[in-house]
Amino acid sequence: MSAANGRVRVAVTGIGVVSPLGIGREEMWRSVEEGRSGAGLITLFDASDLPVRMACEAHGFEPTDFMDRRAARRMDRYAQFAVASAKLAVADAGLPIDRDGEGIGAIIANGGSGATSREEQHIALLERGVDRVSPFAIPLSVANMGAGQVSMELGLHGPVTAVSTACAAGTDAIGTALDILRRGDARAMLAGGADTLVTPYFVAGFDAMRVLSHRNDDPAGAARPFDRDRDGFLIGEAGAVLVLERLDDARARGAEVICELAGYGASADAYHITDPDPTGEPQARAVTAALEDAGIAPAQVDHVNAHGGASKPGDPTELLALRLALGDEAAARVAVSATKSMHGHCMGATGALEAAITALAVREGLVPPTINLTELDPACGGVDHVANAARPADLRVAMSTSFGLGGHNAALIVTRAEDGDR
Amino acid sequence: MTADGDRRRVVVTGLGMVSPIGIGWQEAWRAALAGTSGAGPITRFDASAHHCRIACEVAGFEPHDFIDRRSARRMDRASQMAVAAARLALDDAGLEIEGDGYRAGAMIATGNGGSETFEEHHRALLERGAERSSPLMIPVMIVNMPAGHVSMQFGLRGPTASVVTACASGNHGIGDAAAAIRRGAADVMLAGGTEAGVTPFCMAGLDATRALSRRNDDPQRASRPYDVGRDGFVAAEGAGVVVLESLEHARERGAEIVCELAGYGASSDAYHLTDPEPSGRWQVAAMLQALETGGLSPEDVDYVNAHGTSTPTGDPVEIVAIRRLVGDDRALEVRVSSTKSMHGHGMGTAGGFEAVLTALAVREGAIPPTINLDDLDPACAGVDHVANEARTGPVRAALSNSFGFGGHNAVLAFAAMEDG
Repeated sequence: MSAANGRVRVAVTGIGVVSPLGIGREEMWRSVEEGRSGAGLITLFDASDLPVRMACEAHGFEPTDFMDRRAARRMDRYAQFAVASAKLAVADAGLPIDRDGEGIGAIIANGGSGATSREEQHIALLERGVDRVSPFAIPLSVANMGAGQVSMELGLHGPVTAVSTACAAGTDAIGTALDILRRGDARAMLAGGADTLVTPYFVAGFDAMRVLSHRNDDPAGAARPFDRDRDGFLIGEAGAVLVLERLDDARARGAEVICELAGYGASADAYHITDPDPTGEPQARAVTAALEDAGIAPAQVDHVNAHGGASKPGDPTELLALRLALGDEAAARVAVSATKSMHGHCMGATGALEAAITALAVREGLVPPTINLTELDPACGGVDHVANAARPADLRVAMSTSFGLGGHNAALIVTRAEDGDR
Repeated sequence: MTADGDRRRVVVTGLGMVSPIGIGWQEAWRAALAGTSGAGPITRFDASAHHCRIACEVAGFEPHDFIDRRSARRMDRASQMAVAAARLALDDAGLEIEGDGYRAGAMIATGNGGSETFEEHHRALLERGAERSSPLMIPVMIVNMPAGHVSMQFGLRGPTASVVTACASGNHGIGDAAAAIRRGAADVMLAGGTEAGVTPFCMAGLDATRALSRRNDDPQRASRPYDVGRDGFVAAEGAGVVVLESLEHARERGAEIVCELAGYGASSDAYHLTDPEPSGRWQVAAMLQALETGGLSPEDVDYVNAHGTSTPTGDPVEIVAIRRLVGDDRALEVRVSSTKSMHGHGMGTAGGFEAVLTALAVREGAIPPTINLDDLDPACAGVDHVANEARTGPVRAALSNSFGFGGHNAVLAFAAMEDG
C-alpha cells in the first residue's frame, strides 16, 4: 500500500531498549509515564576526583541475559547494548527471521566508537607495549561493530551499516533504514543506535567543552532542558532499536503496528564544529524536509520530542527553528517535551531512544514530560511545554528531532497507522 | 529517458584523490597505469617497536594548500584529507555550490575517524589529568567530523553524514549518497571516504589481528593480492571523494560526465568478526543487487576492481564470488585487478580510492593492474587477472567491491554513458 504521496508505507512493529530508564519497552515506558530521572553518580569508573561525577547509566544490564559469555567478551559495551536492544526489538515485534535472514538488514548508529575498549587497549599499548594489544582491540573499538554484531547474532544478511552524525546519528539511522525499505532493498530493517560513552576520555572531553551539568549534589535534578537554571547535559548510555517493516507485510503477518514511520528529513548547518547556526534556519529545513517527505502539513503536528540538550544556546535555537518550520501559530499548539531530562543525552543512541519514546507516545496517547522544568526560560517560549508530568493526548502526528556536533540536523515523523488508511 | 528518469539517474562528474600514489586524480591515475607502489617505511610515528613498520602514506600532503590555517588546526588529518579531496573533486567537476546549499550534501565515510587526535589527547589525559583536557578532544576526533568539515568548508546544507562499515565504509558512503539523490533529497552529493590511521594504536591493533603484511624489508612488494607469497595487507591513509549529481542536474549545467553510478548493493555475511563467509554467497548477493539496481546484468561486467586486500583467507573467497556471479566460463573473460597492490588498503577510504580509479577505467578504457602478482595462487584463479601491466580496452560496466570487518559487503556498479 502506498501513502497519498506515493511512497511505500513503513510500520514500526517492535521496540527494544537498554536505557537509563529501564531495559525493555515496558520498563522504559513506565519510567517515562512517571517522569522518573535515570541520573545518578558515575559507577562505571572512578570519577570521584572529577568536576563532573554523574551520568545516566543503564543499571542492571547483564550481557549474558542476551548472548553467550564468549560472544559478550568480544564486544564493547556499546555493541552488547546494540545486540540486546535488537533482540528485545525482534522479540517485541515477533519478527520471524527465516531463510537465513535474507532481506533483513540493520542500521545501528554510533557516535563515539567502542570507547571503553579503545581506552583500555590504548592504555595496554602505552604501558605494556605492542605485544600486549589484544587481537580484538580493533574489532572491539570500531564504530561499525554494533551493526556487525547485531547481524551476526541475529543472522541478518541485508544491508548492514553504522551511521554516524554525532548526537543525530540514531535519527539518521532510522531515516536511512526507511529509505532502504521504500526503495525495496530490504523487507525489514532493524534501525537504531547504541553508544556507551560514560568513560574517562568522554567525560573529560565533554567537560572541557563546558557542555556538561555540574550539579553533582542533585543528579536527578541536573538535566533541565528549557529551564532558566539549566547548566548543560548529562551523558547517558543506551541502546535503542526499532523494527521497521513495510506496513502491508506487517499487517499480513498480523503484527502489532505501533505506528507508521512516515517521514525523514536531514540537513546540515555548515556553520561551526560545535555551535548551532543561531538563525535556526538549517534545523528548520530538516523539519520541513521531514514534513514534506511524510506529506504532512505543519499544522497537523501534535507533538515534538525535542533535542533539548539543556545547553544555554542550543535550547532557544531549537525552538526558534521549530517556530520557523511550523509557523508561530501551529508551534504554540505543539506539545513539546525533551525526554533527555530523564534519560540524559545518549549521544549516537539518543535519537533512536527518542524515536522509540515518540512512537510509544503516539501508540499510548500520552505525551512524555520534560522533567525539572520548574521555571521556563523566556527565550524558550512559544510552544506548549509539557512540564514535569506526562499528559494524555490524542496524538495523530509526532516528530522527533536531533541535532549533532558538526552541524547534522535530522527529523523523523511518526503517525497513527490507521489515520493513513483513509 | 524521461526527465523524471534523469532525476533518478546518478552520474559521476568530479574526482578528488589524496592518496599514496598521488594527490589529484591525474597524478594517481598515471601512477596506477604505470603500476607504481605507494608503500614505504612508516614515517608518521616511530614504529621501530612494531612488528609491522610499513604503510602507504600520503607523501607531500600540505593541508594549507587546501584549508586555511585556523580551520586546519581544528581538524584531524582524516578531516584535512577529506576536505582536500572534496576540494579537488569540486574543482574537477567545475561545480560551484549554488544558493543556500540545501540541495547539496556530503557522505564522507571513515573507518575510525580521528585516530591521531584520540591517541594524542588520551595520552595527555593519562599523563596530565582531566583538568588539562582540550575542548577539541571530542569534536576533532569523532567519526562524523570529516563529513561535517566538508559541509562547513563548502557550504553544503543537504544530507550530511558519515557511514562506518570498517573497510567497506567508502562504498557505503558513495552508495548512500547516490540513494539520497535518487530519493530527491539532494541534486549534488560529495561522497567518498577518508582515513588517517597510520598511528601507533591502529597499527598495533591491526597487526594483532594478523591482517598486516610484515614484509618490512621490501615495502613496495608487500601488498601482493592473489600472489602465493601474500602475507597480509599494507595499511594506507588518504581520501577519495567523487562528485555525484543527478543526470538532470549535470546536463542542465553542461557538466562533463565521467560515467554513471548505475547501482549499489549491500549485504551482510553475519558470519565472523574478521573472516569472510567462505562460500562468498553474500558477496555475490551484494554484487547482484548492485547490477540489478543499475539495470545491468552480469554479462555487462567487463572489469571488477576487487577488494583484494592481499590476505591469505580473503582473496580466494572474492574470486569464487565473482565466478559464482558471472559463471565460470564468462569469469575467464572478466578482467580483475586489485589496486590495493599499489595504494594499499585505505580502510575507510578504500572504497573512495577505488571508486575514483574504477570511474576512470570506465571513462578511459584502461585498467590499472594488480602489481606484485608474480605467481598466481591457484586458489585465486578462474578470472582474467590484469597482472603487473595495465591494459586497454572498452569497459562498459565495472564493479568496485568492498568488504569490511564485521561482514559488511558493499558494491558499486559504474557504467559508461551511452547517450553522452
